[in-house]
Amino acid sequence: MNVFDVQASLRALLPAERFLVFEELRTQVAAGGVRALQIALPALPRKIGREQLPPELALEGDVSVDLGAWRACDAAALELLHVAQAGDDALRELYAHGDIEERAMVLRSLACRPVSAGTVALLAEVQRTNVQSHFEAAICDSNLVARSLGRAGFAQADLDRLVLKAAFLGVELVRLFDVQRHANPELSRMLQDLATEREAAGRAVWRDTARLIARAPTAGTLARLVGGLEHGDDGTRLAAAEGLDALLSRERSQRTELHHYLRERLPREPRAEIRAALERALAR
Amino acid sequence: MRIFEPHIHMFSRVTDDYERMALAGVRAVLEPAFWLGQNRTNVGSFVDYFDTLIGWERFRAQQFGIHHFCTMALNPREANDDRVNQAVIEALPRYLEKDGVLGVGEIGLDDQTKKEEHYFLAQLALAKKHDLPVLVHTPHRDKKKGFQRCIDLVRDAAFPLQRVLLDHGNEETIKITRELGCVSGFSIYPFTKMDTNRMVAIVKEYGVERMIINSAADWGVSDPLMVPKTMVKLEQAGLRPALIEQLVWGNPVAFFSQGGRLDVARLEHPANIDRRQTFEGNSVLRGQDPDA
Ligand SMILES: [Zn+2]
Repeated sequence: MNVFDVQASLRALLPAERFLVFEELRTQVAAGGVRALQIALPALPRKIGREQLPPELALEGDVSVDLGAWRACDAAALELLHVAQAGDDALRELYAHGDIEERAMVLRSLACRPVSAGTVALLAEVQRTNVQSHFEAAICDSNLVARSLGRAGFAQADLDRLVLKAAFLGVELVRLFDVQRHANPELSRMLQDLATEREAAGRAVWRDTARLIARAPTAGTLARLVGGLEHGDDGTRLAAAEGLDALLSRERSQRTELHHYLRERLPREPRAEIRAALERALAR
Repeated sequence: MRIFEPHIHMFSRVTDDYERMALAGVRAVLEPAFWLGQNRTNVGSFVDYFDTLIGWERFRAQQFGIHHFCTMALNPREANDDRVNQAVIEALPRYLEKDGVLGVGEIGLDDQTKKEEHYFLAQLALAKKHDLPVLVHTPHRDKKKGFQRCIDLVRDAAFPLQRVLLDHGNEETIKITRELGCVSGFSIYPFTKMDTNRMVAIVKEYGVERMIINSAADWGVSDPLMVPKTMVKLEQAGLRPALIEQLVWGNPVAFFSQGGRLDVARLEHPANIDRRQTFEGNSVLRGQDPDA
């Protein structure tokens, strides 16, 4: 897969002498394979740097990746994994014996590689990790999770657990590309239970809850969405309005009742962005 | 004043310790690989321990803004254990190439056996090969003789003395090490071995050149705040702040920079694992139309 041209990106991003270091490492690893990569990988953040790549959505085949989440060392690691011809075993081994930065680089590379048994195994690792930067490196800013669905060992229930963990950690839904398409009533139930638990404890609820549950309603979903229209937090209200819009775009049986609440809210809504979402929903 | 705590086993400590250390000014810690209180029975236990030091333990430290580094080694106690000793030596080279690994240690002598000497020398060779300084654990029993033996072994191996930190020193050993050119380490404990008042006396007599202090806090009775506590005593005894800073920051940073991996500029800021803080608002994002 050639999702983006690492060499061109790094040449544009790095000072000349650092780009030269990258080229030297690339030559060493191309010759020495995975063993050379074991030595080269830990030093990449220091030698290549941690500068962020310019934001750009890279699209290739069924892959989409936000390069703005990548650092120079992440891109270098992707290229070195490629030239070392690192397969699943190598990837898992590098993760298992890698330091914090190495693990993050290996996980981020998954987004630009074909989904394999190694991908699924590493997704299972991050489902268990408490290191949020690792969870984000694997799950966020690409469509890897959605792309992995249906692989042996990565079923709907596995995707649901990852999304629930994202909600638990407060990761924004927009960073989980395409996951909305895989909304389902069981995930809605899990998210609503989490919301109830947080409310009982007086804690903040994941704002994106409404956006996901609206796409696969279950018992309690409608009341949650309508209630969200009156929430004091702008982000929660916006999510509720957008959720109702999404719901009405595909399911019109409760149109009359829901429009009643939308119309009632509209003149009292102070935020233009939310008013626009309410109007879109009323046009359904 | 920032503190580089150059010898502490955080693996054995709780998060409260990290919080208190951060509040007391500790910006970075160095965790030497050591014995875990009882012997391990297979090399896999070492490998998992090494992976924890460069992974989970570093994450724990970063949560409190503390940079975490380590040294890796087969410790002198388990050098005596044939179930693991040679296999650990074979597992080490990969870890000695990790970026946060700033030295080889704790190596040295404990009961001063032949096997300990054999693996001490083997690891001096590894340190040479990987271009790293060494952190040397010296015996708590029969210390003076053990110190002298460590020095002889280092000399026989032609290992550069400025790359040797002889740790767990006291009033007797400083007389031996002062003029050697190596760094002398002092581990300050709450009740035993070396205490804050004795440390003040040593600094008054010998100065701070090529000296470091640490808490060596671990699984036993020990105190992770011993470095900041000693700093207070030194200040009260009239030591100039610049000298205190040299003792708790300049000296350990200089010593562990010798391998070329310690990025001192990064120590200017607290460690922070939360990439979202830099990442938010710096992206095209990402938002694809959910219904597309
Ligand atoms: Zn120790």
